[in-house]
Amino acid sequence: MRGILRIAAGHLFTAFRERVTLFWFLIFPVFLLAILTLIFGNMGQEGEISFAISVVNLESNTAGPVDFAAIVEGVFEETGTASEEGKEPLFTLTHPSDGEDLEEFLAREKEALRLGHRAAVIVIPEGFNQELLERMMRSSSSPSGNGALTIYINEGSAASEMATSIIEQILAGVDREILTHIGHFQEEEAIPSETLWVGSGGEELSYVDFLLPGVILMGFFVNGLFGVPGSILFARDRRVLRRYWVTPLTVPHYLAGFSLGHLTLCLIQFVLILVLGRFAFGATIKFAEPMPILFLLLGAVTFLAFGFFIASVAKTANAGMASANILNMPMMFLGGLFFPIGGLPTFLKVIVYANPVTYLAEGLRMSLGVQGETFSIPLTLAVPVGWIAFCIFVASRRLSWDVK
Amino acid sequence: MMRAFQALLHTEYTVFLRDKASLTFTFLFPVIFILIFGFLMRGMGDVEDARLGLFVPAGVESKILERTVSSAGSMSVTLYDDQSSLQIALEKRTIDFGLIWDGTKLLFLYDSSRVQENYAFEEVATGITADFSLARQGLSPVLSVEKIHVGREAATDWFNLVVPGILAFSILSAGLFAVSGHITAMKERKLLDRMIVTPMRPIALLAAIICVRLAMVYISTLISLFIAMTVLHLAFDVSWFYYTVFVVASTLGMMGFGTLIALLVRKPSSASNIAHILSIVMMFLAGIYFPIEIMPSYLRTLSKALPLTYMAEALRYATGVIDMTETRFWGITVAMFALAVVLLPLLARYVVSPDRR
Repeated sequence: MRGILRIAAGHLFTAFRERVTLFWFLIFPVFLLAILTLIFGNMGQEGEISFAISVVNLESNTAGPVDFAAIVEGVFEETGTASEEGKEPLFTLTHPSDGEDLEEFLAREKEALRLGHRAAVIVIPEGFNQELLERMMRSSSSPSGNGALTIYINEGSAASEMATSIIEQILAGVDREILTHIGHFQEEEAIPSETLWVGSGGEELSYVDFLLPGVILMGFFVNGLFGVPGSILFARDRRVLRRYWVTPLTVPHYLAGFSLGHLTLCLIQFVLILVLGRFAFGATIKFAEPMPILFLLLGAVTFLAFGFFIASVAKTANAGMASANILNMPMMFLGGLFFPIGGLPTFLKVIVYANPVTYLAEGLRMSLGVQGETFSIPLTLAVPVGWIAFCIFVASRRLSWDVK
Repeated sequence: MMRAFQALLHTEYTVFLRDKASLTFTFLFPVIFILIFGFLMRGMGDVEDARLGLFVPAGVESKILERTVSSAGSMSVTLYDDQSSLQIALEKRTIDFGLIWDGTKLLFLYDSSRVQENYAFEEVATGITADFSLARQGLSPVLSVEKIHVGREAATDWFNLVVPGILAFSILSAGLFAVSGHITAMKERKLLDRMIVTPMRPIALLAAIICVRLAMVYISTLISLFIAMTVLHLAFDVSWFYYTVFVVASTLGMMGFGTLIALLVRKPSSASNIAHILSIVMMFLAGIYFPIEIMPSYLRTLSKALPLTYMAEALRYATGVIDMTETRFWGITVAMFALAVVLLPLLARYVVSPDRR
């Protein structure tokens, strides 16, 4: 037993002494969790994003009963002020300089849009007030014409796409206000809308709660895929293992100690990522239930077995690392850890359905209540168990414990 | 002199072809990246091709709603007989989001695990609600909007922007590792000790490594681009002159950075790890897979300090995906060249030296 514990401790100390190991096992998952949560966690929320736009009001006739052009312009001017101190305004508006010709300003802004410096340019055309008035009398809209607002967009820019979508929502609000103001639209008869979240007990799921199980599994995956063959093969190539075999230590004892060390490393990794997710990003999911614990344990053991499998088929440590690198990307990204995998073509779905990561990610998320049942629970358990059996079978026959 | 250089070139070429890891990283990885992310990101959050499931209980009037939904875009609509079958379809991802109209309110259903995409579906839902409210009162919007696209026609798909980003990323990682990994490997095997006692000048060895790796990186980017165009059917309007000049300049620039790594570490594995870590960190922050615009302001500021951000931008311009001013493009290109011109000769004598530590 002492021998097993010493091997486990040795595995842990070696992992912590290697700065690169520390980066991939501990810092990288934490970095990934932080960066993806910062990017996607508040996506689309006011105060977190800001777009540079400009509003060009070409309407010169303001003598009518209502200056609609000024109302539209005013609404966008308001969005140029941050709703809270310290937050960004939704739009940063560019205005023509004093005395600048509006057509020249429009040309300049269109050029800025083309070059990606603006997300959108809204043009209120000449004759807008009159046209809107007439249209309201007819109570109909026309898809385009003299009175239509023009939004210049750049389809190649994600900022432009997002800004246009927000602008359209703002205009829909303005539209309704105008129709209510003139008595055409009855606000009390407006159709209410509600939202139902499916797959998370009716609650909206925060991005960090979706991401956290994926990052934890990714940590285990990287740990098993690189750490296990790396440790075994480098120890074998440098003849460290040979020295073990002249002691009373047996291969089963070594394997038990190594596995214990590996699982302890996974536990440390899990605690660190969980603490960061909970206290820095406000994750609320609870792992302290039997099923999530079972899936976490199954994940750690599956990837440990996978590591043994790679160690058994690679002739040298460098070949093992190269094999792990080749398997890393397809298995990680075609396992649904970070992105949905529903719309893939058939030849890639084969990898998805054969990939143990897919079942572990789905199973863990289902058991945590953050996802509906896409696979049955027995299947999400059976496939990884099948992989464990296969990997152990191959490793038991092929893994060489000394340099040939 | 020239014959010696040719011999060095030939040797470096043979060494590269024998090095399976370098071959994999240079040629296979960009292709895997493009294929995996191409298929993964295709249609993600794309509301144009969204699939809506609709359930209206018997006896509830639904014609106005169906008209409103059909005018909301090119979504496909599937009718369901009850709420539970609609929910199951949503859980199984047969549909992207659901809608129930009971005659008094609209209930939108979303799959809570599609956190990255629901934002786009919710926007469509807001539009449907607004239009339906008006249509129920016999009204239509008074403000009409005409959208006019300004810019390159090729830029119609987010993945058009991602592909040049992946090319920039592969140039960055290959460039960083090309010199550092190779020189440290030569030091480790004591090959440099033997070469240094010959009349060969340090810069000649560095030049041979650079020439071979540069050619390989260029060919690799062409293969990746070709696969993106043929397998993923993406259109690029490539300016081959700009493309070639920029790939050469940026690869050289990144090799310059790579010599700094070679100065700092002894082992090829350490060089590889530093290059890998640097490029992965930059990849997430330089707008390769996620638009910089959706990041918080402090991350946007950070991304402006990364060379990969500018490399991706210049390659997007050279492949006809985005517009930029000529001054900006040449500014980035010259900056990359300058990095190489300053760093490579300056550091050559220190990098191409026997390992005395």
